[in-house]
Amino acid sequence: MSAFKRVQQWATFARTWHVFDCKWQDPYESAFIIKKYLMGLHKPIYHPMNDCGDVVVCINSRDIALRGDEWRKRAYFHHTGYPGGATWTLAWELHNKDPTMIIRKAVYRAMKGNLQRRHTMERLFIYPGEDVPDDIMQNVTNQIRQWRLVPTRLDHIPEEEVKKFPKIMEYPEDYVLK
Amino acid sequence: MSGLVKSSFSLLKRSIFSTSVRAIVTTKQLHVKEIREQTVGSTLVVEGVPVPSPRKDYLVRAENLVPVPEPLVKSEQPPCYMCALGLEVKHTDVLILSQFVRSDGCMLPRRITGLCRRQQKKIGKMVTMAQKAGLMINLTPKNCAKDPKKRYQHKKFNTYFDESTIFMKRIPKPWEKFRR
Repeated sequence: MSAFKRVQQWATFARTWHVFDCKWQDPYESAFIIKKYLMGLHKPIYHPMNDCGDVVVCINSRDIALRGDEWRKRAYFHHTGYPGGATWTLAWELHNKDPTMIIRKAVYRAMKGNLQRRHTMERLFIYPGEDVPDDIMQNVTNQIRQWRLVPTRLDHIPEEEVKKFPKIMEYPEDYVLK
Repeated sequence: MSGLVKSSFSLLKRSIFSTSVRAIVTTKQLHVKEIREQTVGSTLVVEGVPVPSPRKDYLVRAENLVPVPEPLVKSEQPPCYMCALGLEVKHTDVLILSQFVRSDGCMLPRRITGLCRRQQKKIGKMVTMAQKAGLMINLTPKNCAKDPKKRYQHKKFNTYFDESTIFMKRIPKPWEKFRR
């Protein structure tokens, strides 16, 4: 094996570390994106018996966005095993307790239900904020594209820009400014 | 028929009880006005001062654009100015939506916006979506906390909306796509 081929072999089977910013992202939609990188589905050498999955670091998981009224409609079920041990926790209650749990459960659910997914989940790191330990952040070499654009708040846009933005509606002639 | 009966009743009522109040207008209302309150000595002077519209220079109309937008060319009846532009507005486009609200964040009525019924409904709902998502937090009533993260229970977390649900009679549940 030539030196080039040897390095190519290393590069092929090396684990890449990706970072995913969860700010304003839907966890259930972005789970399908994260899953692809975790399992290595984006690689041409993918095979279920081939350990080619990458590592994904999710940051800002506290700022995920759920669609419509899902914060108070989606419930997470848990049963302790004892009679009367069933609990239904709403998504916003779960997010209050642990801001990383929703995205972890979403990624776990997106994967096929075999035992391999428990080992694949070990390669997923989730952090509620932006402060990630240095020994993890120094491995990261790639950023995964977000599922939707992060919206901008009106009070974060400079006032001059708001004033000069093209206007569609004109006030009627007898309008009293309020 | 029912309208005729209704109007005749109201006529009869008015002839008996003359309680209707008519606004007396002494000046012609023809400009965008600003209410100014001044205290001169011990008297309070309230006057409506005509001011030039702040939006005059930045106004965009479909008929003034150089490639005339498609909806304006195609339609037989003249469309409203919003339909004519053919814009695809989302609830995150706060720079557009904030033009249709008062300074306290309320949607303006149709007699002021001059939109067609469908667009008024659509924009009104998108304004509600943007307010719920906390994207126009500076356009809210004075007693508002002005910080979406200080809201109560589930409201303090980020929420986004799907604009395709605006004209749906009933919004399908997420699990319904698996049902046969």
